[in-house]
Amino acid sequence: MLLEMKNITKVYGSLVANDNINLTLNKGEILAVVGENGAGKSTLMKILYGLEKPTGGEIIIDGEKQNFKSPHDAMHHGIGMVQQHFMLFDTFTVAENIVYGKEPKKGSLFFNRNKAVEIVKELSEKYGLEIDPTLKVNECPVGLQQRVEILKVLYQDADIIIFDEPSAVLTPQEVSELIKTMKNLAAMGKSLIIVTHKLQEVMDVSDRVMIMRSGKFVKEMPTSETSIEEMSFLMVGRRIIDKEVKEQATTGKVLDIENLVLHGEGGKNVLDGLSMNVEAGEIVGIAGVSGNGQSELIECITGLKPFDGGEVRLLETDIKGKSVGQIREAGCACIPEDRYLYGCASKATLVETSIMAHYEKSELSSHGLLKDKAVKSFTQDLIDRYDVRTSGLSQKAGELSGGNIQKLIVAREIEQNSPLLIAAEPTRGVDIGAIEFIHNKLLEKRAKGDAVLLISSELSEIMTLSDRIYVIYEGKIAGEFRRGHVTEEQLGLLMMGGKADGSKEN
Amino acid sequence: MSPEYIAAVINSTLRMTTPILFAALGSAVCSRIGVFNIALEGQMLIASFFAVVANYFTGSPFISVVAGVASAMVISLVVGILQVKYKAADMVVGTAINLFTGGLTSFLLFVIFGIKGTLNDPKLVPMERFNLPLINKIPFVGTIFDSLTFLDYFAYIMAILIFIYLFKTVAGFRALSVGINKEATESLGTKAERIQIGMVVFSGFLCGLGGVVLSIGQVTLFTENMTSGRGFMAMAAASLGMSHPLGCIAASLFFGFAQAFGNVLQTTGVKSQLTMMVPYVATIIALVIFAVKEKMKKKAH
Amino acid sequence: MEAKKTNYFVNALKTIWDGIKQPVVATFLGLIVGAIVILIANISPDINVGILEVYAELFKGAFGSGYYIMASLTRATPIIFCAMATAFAWRAGYINIGVEGQMIVGALVATCIAVYMPGPGIVVILVSLLAGIVAGGLYALLAAWLNLNFGASLVIITLMMNYVANYFASYMVSFPIKDNTVTGITAQSMEIPADARLPRLVTGNTIHFGFILAILVTLFLLFIVKKTIFGYESKMSGLNPFFAIYGGVKRAKVMFLTMFLSGAVGALAGGVEVLGLKYRYIDNMLASGNYAWTGLQAALIANLNPVGMFFTSIFLAGLQQGGAALQRKVDLPLEISTIIQCSITLFVSVKFTWNLIKKKKMQKAIAEGGNK
Repeated sequence: MLLEMKNITKVYGSLVANDNINLTLNKGEILAVVGENGAGKSTLMKILYGLEKPTGGEIIIDGEKQNFKSPHDAMHHGIGMVQQHFMLFDTFTVAENIVYGKEPKKGSLFFNRNKAVEIVKELSEKYGLEIDPTLKVNECPVGLQQRVEILKVLYQDADIIIFDEPSAVLTPQEVSELIKTMKNLAAMGKSLIIVTHKLQEVMDVSDRVMIMRSGKFVKEMPTSETSIEEMSFLMVGRRIIDKEVKEQATTGKVLDIENLVLHGEGGKNVLDGLSMNVEAGEIVGIAGVSGNGQSELIECITGLKPFDGGEVRLLETDIKGKSVGQIREAGCACIPEDRYLYGCASKATLVETSIMAHYEKSELSSHGLLKDKAVKSFTQDLIDRYDVRTSGLSQKAGELSGGNIQKLIVAREIEQNSPLLIAAEPTRGVDIGAIEFIHNKLLEKRAKGDAVLLISSELSEIMTLSDRIYVIYEGKIAGEFRRGHVTEEQLGLLMMGGKADGSKEN
Repeated sequence: MSPEYIAAVINSTLRMTTPILFAALGSAVCSRIGVFNIALEGQMLIASFFAVVANYFTGSPFISVVAGVASAMVISLVVGILQVKYKAADMVVGTAINLFTGGLTSFLLFVIFGIKGTLNDPKLVPMERFNLPLINKIPFVGTIFDSLTFLDYFAYIMAILIFIYLFKTVAGFRALSVGINKEATESLGTKAERIQIGMVVFSGFLCGLGGVVLSIGQVTLFTENMTSGRGFMAMAAASLGMSHPLGCIAASLFFGFAQAFGNVLQTTGVKSQLTMMVPYVATIIALVIFAVKEKMKKKAH
Repeated sequence: MEAKKTNYFVNALKTIWDGIKQPVVATFLGLIVGAIVILIANISPDINVGILEVYAELFKGAFGSGYYIMASLTRATPIIFCAMATAFAWRAGYINIGVEGQMIVGALVATCIAVYMPGPGIVVILVSLLAGIVAGGLYALLAAWLNLNFGASLVIITLMMNYVANYFASYMVSFPIKDNTVTGITAQSMEIPADARLPRLVTGNTIHFGFILAILVTLFLLFIVKKTIFGYESKMSGLNPFFAIYGGVKRAKVMFLTMFLSGAVGALAGGVEVLGLKYRYIDNMLASGNYAWTGLQAALIANLNPVGMFFTSIFLAGLQQGGAALQRKVDLPLEISTIIQCSITLFVSVKFTWNLIKKKKMQKAIAEGGNK
């Protein structure tokens, strides 16, 4: 046994993030640690990597007890981590990022950048990870950036490599590359720990799997002896019943997009003649790998970005050239992709957060003055009905947990009672209880007869909720399907640019 | 306008540029490591003052330089500790320090010398001004390099040294990384805060030299608040120069020229109050033009 | 019941103390720095003052009698305006360091109109103040426009505009509108006719109607901040401009209105100082008093809270007033006030961010723990 984490406990105030966890890892093995958001797996890895100190328990490597004071310390003992949020210097080159900390020198002062490039080329060959050392990191796609992180860890001679939610930001093609890389590394004698909640990948790559739930250890077994259904059940503690959504008739177009064009850099169009529509009383899902134009599509519809060609109609209104405020007036609400960037201001109070885009209504204000009592009861009402856990109205938005602020944002946008609701990644990073809640709220809105445009990178979410599904690829619609008339595999293929008949688009 | 006259204007430009270049380099290195230091004005002013004080009591320009620079470094150390270690708001610290040094220097001017306004004593010994041995014989070029102090040349040497440090050495590479992604540097074992405070103190060193050249370089006196916004002009220069040492040279020369030009205007009869406005207006115009260019570059992409 | 009452009272005291303990401790530390400087000053053979003697004189000159209190309030008037002007822009996310320039513009325009416009006093007063306000507002708006349309740094532009305004005013008052009937080194404008002046509030004292206006402006800003949609929109723009844009807030409109108001209030500081106190524009009168910088410090010390800023401005004004009185009595330069004032600001800047960091770390831990 190479690594043993014994009786690890971590307490934050009154919260027990890790409760007496035991983990073992052997040389050349790939261990998957799975659990839902909030299970405690990231905390456990932070302890292993020296980012946090355990409240109790010990870490033993090769029989020796360890006490890591910092990630630097952990690195010295051969532990490397490829984090979910990359720690890269985006204006430096790939080579510069990889050799950081152990830079090759000319003399004793000067940075030998040429040697760094050579070193990276050698590493790249040794581990079969192709990369151009002279590229700047901000010129690299996400998959390549992750590769830089992996090479960084290999350059520091890590024997144990931790991957924290590695596939969260990758395209399906990049994911299969990554799986190949991981198997290769294990074959070369490295030991890997993969923290994830993507069960298919666990089945594809790991030798053993350990399941955590609510900070506790649940079960551990060889991957070959389990299944996705069993892992899912153990992760959540109950069977997840597939939602049954009743068919319902739609009543007229709410959103109509024809040939939408948005110019991009270097002559390529980000949105390339995209046409789609959403009718009242349905949920339309857009499936696609991040980076194929979804974010820009939302920006064009909501008025955050002006588009260059085509027509977008919201009910009777042509929204070209209209401001964000005017488009909201015309009947569009939006749950944003990045809740902290667009959805709220972390230092604003809950009242201030919830009245955004509502404050001009006559119940909440008159003649430019806010009605104090009205805004407070409005906020309290949202909090009560949407199960937002808070300590009071004057709490700041940034103090709520991710799931709770998301619920408040969902509440705010659904309460607009607008004909069209755009929901972009509505359950990203949210705990499972809140996910179900938000899904139910979206279905309620649909039942009311409004239109919902759902954009998500979680295929299961799209397939469960949508009446119709569009696939977006390189700024165009690559396919349109009704509920129940398409499989996950078919969608996956189209998402990667394949054609419905099996051939690949170049 | 004779060539000699133009050469004299260039010479004047060089003299006006030196303090701004030093301070601009100070601003640039702070920006590069992610610290917004607006106390440059105060760092320069206190150096100007203590250089004159040391000069009065020792008559040695060398000791004056040391004293001035040391005082600036003390002030910058305070700035560094407050802003980096205690994470105090940069605008608060910077403006308080600037005002503080203004008050302190005026206060000490009276306490030590019993004077309000300007200290201009024949006892004061200026920095040595010299001409380059062969060059000063050449007509046009000789006038350009007439009577400059060591610091006037040193500013450019400093810029080159900083360039080499930042872009060629490992230490400079680590320093730059702190400005790009401080969180990442700490997880990789770099002592980010130490580097930041160190650079801020270094900016004190640079501003100290700038302040010293102001009070004992070309003139030999101290006037209350004699830096007159040069510290802020230097910030603009650093911004125009993209916080790059060589860019700072170009931008600082521009502002030096704006000042020299203002003086030229004065001789043609334009009122001094209006000519004094020239460098400040020039700064605004330069920033706007530069920002426009940046925008157009981005669009073309 | 009694125990509950005293508990409530104790809790209330605790909350108040929690709110003001940082500025109080910072003030105490600032006074210690001042004490050190006074001791250093004693090294000079001509100066021989005790620390307590200095602080006693300082306090007397600031708040030691009705006369002095009112003098401090007079001095506080422009500072209050400047604090409000700075804070209002700041909370919307716009760092307006150009209040000094806007103040000068307001003063200059008000002077020109008050001196040269004929008509009944009350009309002249209204027109000159209004013109000053508009001029200052436009001056600030110019900086905002340059920043929004060209992306040039608001900080540097507003800073430069201070110098431009001061030199321009200096030119005006040395040539076109110079008062040639008086002798003296400092150039100044003609005097404002008696009926175009703001009335004094108390005979024999300098306190003038401008102070009442300062109170009104404070209340006005408090009202805007707490009750109006505009106040809400500008606060959200300052906390997260993306959130504001996403919610439909018209960013340009908010920015321009905010900066205009900020410049207008700053200009009012200048107009009121001329019409209420000095009755003419004297070269460099507004820059040398450091009103704008003191206002900025008051704003930051009081954490942009209008009521806090009002009283902090009075406190700092008292400090300066005391320093001036001190200089007359004891031959110690009045800059001692600036030194103490800046030290207090520095100490406040440390403490209040230190607590913020402690709070942040705790919350991050809880939030992270809850999300894992």
